[in-house]
Amino acid sequence: MTMRDVLSSFREINSKYHMFHAVTGDADPGDAAFLFSAKDNLTSADMETCSGSRILEGYRPAFDAESIARMRAAGGKLIGKCNMDEFGFGTFSVNSGLEIPRNPYDPERSCGGSSGGSACAAAVFEDHVSLGVSTGGSICCPASFCGIYGIAPTYGRVSRYGLIDYGNSLDKIGVLSARAGDMRKYIHMISGRDPKDPTSCAQPELKDTGRKLKSAAVPKDGTEGLSADVKDAFDRSLEKLKSMGIDVETVEMPSLKYAMPAYYVLATSEASTNLARYVGMRYGRQRGDLSLRFDDYFSSFRSEYFGEEAKRRILLGTYTRMAGFRDRYYAKALRVRQSVIADYKSVFSRFDAVLTPTMPFTAPRFGEISGMSALDAYKADYLTVPANLAGTPHLSVPCGYDRNGMPIGMQFVADHWNEEVLFDAAESWEKGFEMVKPEVKV
Amino acid sequence: MDRETVERVARAAHIKLSESELEKYSSDLNEILTYFELLDEAPDTGKTGVNPVEIADVLRDDVPRSDFDPDVLLRDMDTYERYVRGPRLL
Repeated sequence: MTMRDVLSSFREINSKYHMFHAVTGDADPGDAAFLFSAKDNLTSADMETCSGSRILEGYRPAFDAESIARMRAAGGKLIGKCNMDEFGFGTFSVNSGLEIPRNPYDPERSCGGSSGGSACAAAVFEDHVSLGVSTGGSICCPASFCGIYGIAPTYGRVSRYGLIDYGNSLDKIGVLSARAGDMRKYIHMISGRDPKDPTSCAQPELKDTGRKLKSAAVPKDGTEGLSADVKDAFDRSLEKLKSMGIDVETVEMPSLKYAMPAYYVLATSEASTNLARYVGMRYGRQRGDLSLRFDDYFSSFRSEYFGEEAKRRILLGTYTRMAGFRDRYYAKALRVRQSVIADYKSVFSRFDAVLTPTMPFTAPRFGEISGMSALDAYKADYLTVPANLAGTPHLSVPCGYDRNGMPIGMQFVADHWNEEVLFDAAESWEKGFEMVKPEVKV
Repeated sequence: MDRETVERVARAAHIKLSESELEKYSSDLNEILTYFELLDEAPDTGKTGVNPVEIADVLRDDVPRSDFDPDVLLRDMDTYERYVRGPRLL
């Protein structure tokens, strides 16, 4: 399929799978070297950017996010902005004020979240790469549910300039694609120091060192609570890795069980301050009832245009930062994060990577998701959250299919700044894995 | 978290909740905060930090510059004579 074929068919495909919120009007790729899409919380000067929220409808940014600018500078053509959970608040891309992306293997199921539209686009279109953003697992989860590769690099590896913040100490921009080699190629393209984001300026240079994955540790608790099909596929994958000459051992990582509550305290605390700027003035939706006094204006506007999950996380994050509760929740969560990092560092002194399934189950049906409580949905992230809390790079590879043909993912976590090990893991794994592509019917 | 606390938190966060939302969020947040009690038993190493990796300070000379055309920034804003229009303060 040529770039021109993609540009002539993708609107029709989008009408069935809803991966894009905004699309290019161009039918001609011109002299583009490749086509790409980006999660809709990355600003784009030529397309509306809503971050999945009704409160930002109509927002036309004045500038490109640095990651998008670097893709364009390398010859990339942005074809669409991808649907997602509102501000990244979710595991299934259903917490959206806009459209909900449909899984390419079964449109009645979720693409995962929150970079669901990005994973869907990367799975459906040939030779397509999509930029995603991970705060607690939002790249690896949808990569797993859509049967593709996805990488979230070390915190600070890719500039966050132009990213609509969810949690500033957690957000990472990464790559999703059906091709393992794209992990290396595009992380190299978008990474590097950027004075506009000081958190990107402490990074060591990303080099092709040729470092290989030789050993991996499986946390003992990392294989609990799995569906039977995920457990079976993961066990078979471990045997395959051993046959590839990789040393695989089980280890204890006692801090991991505290990662989930620590993550949700920090993520919602940061989110509740970040979302304070959306008050119905300056950008996105405006022109509320100006006869109201300012407090009432802001409250009525936010209540009308924030979705249910956004409100829940604002309330939770506001509470955990309040006087009287801050030490118990926020300050303790910061210390737990350091314990989790120490646990990872201890394992990385002996192993190249930590290995688990990416998600405990395969993509659920939308009806199953609506039956989950908020806490049930949060708990689904227990395998992806620890690496995100620790800021360590992590990668999901497809490793099998369940009895319904839905993809299963396996997650590798490496030490800070060691993306090289993950690139090798993806490329070596791809050589021996037979990917079953989704049948896309329009 | 009881209804009164949810109401107080919502007021601080500039969110107006209906009666049914108050009920729902009170129940949801109670369940979530009960789960957060797990943090109380987490061993405390005393080590803390805001970021997961070390962040370097980046300094530059304070030179005035304009990265964006003001007309582009104002194009979609609700304005009055090039001022952003907002709700009344008094």
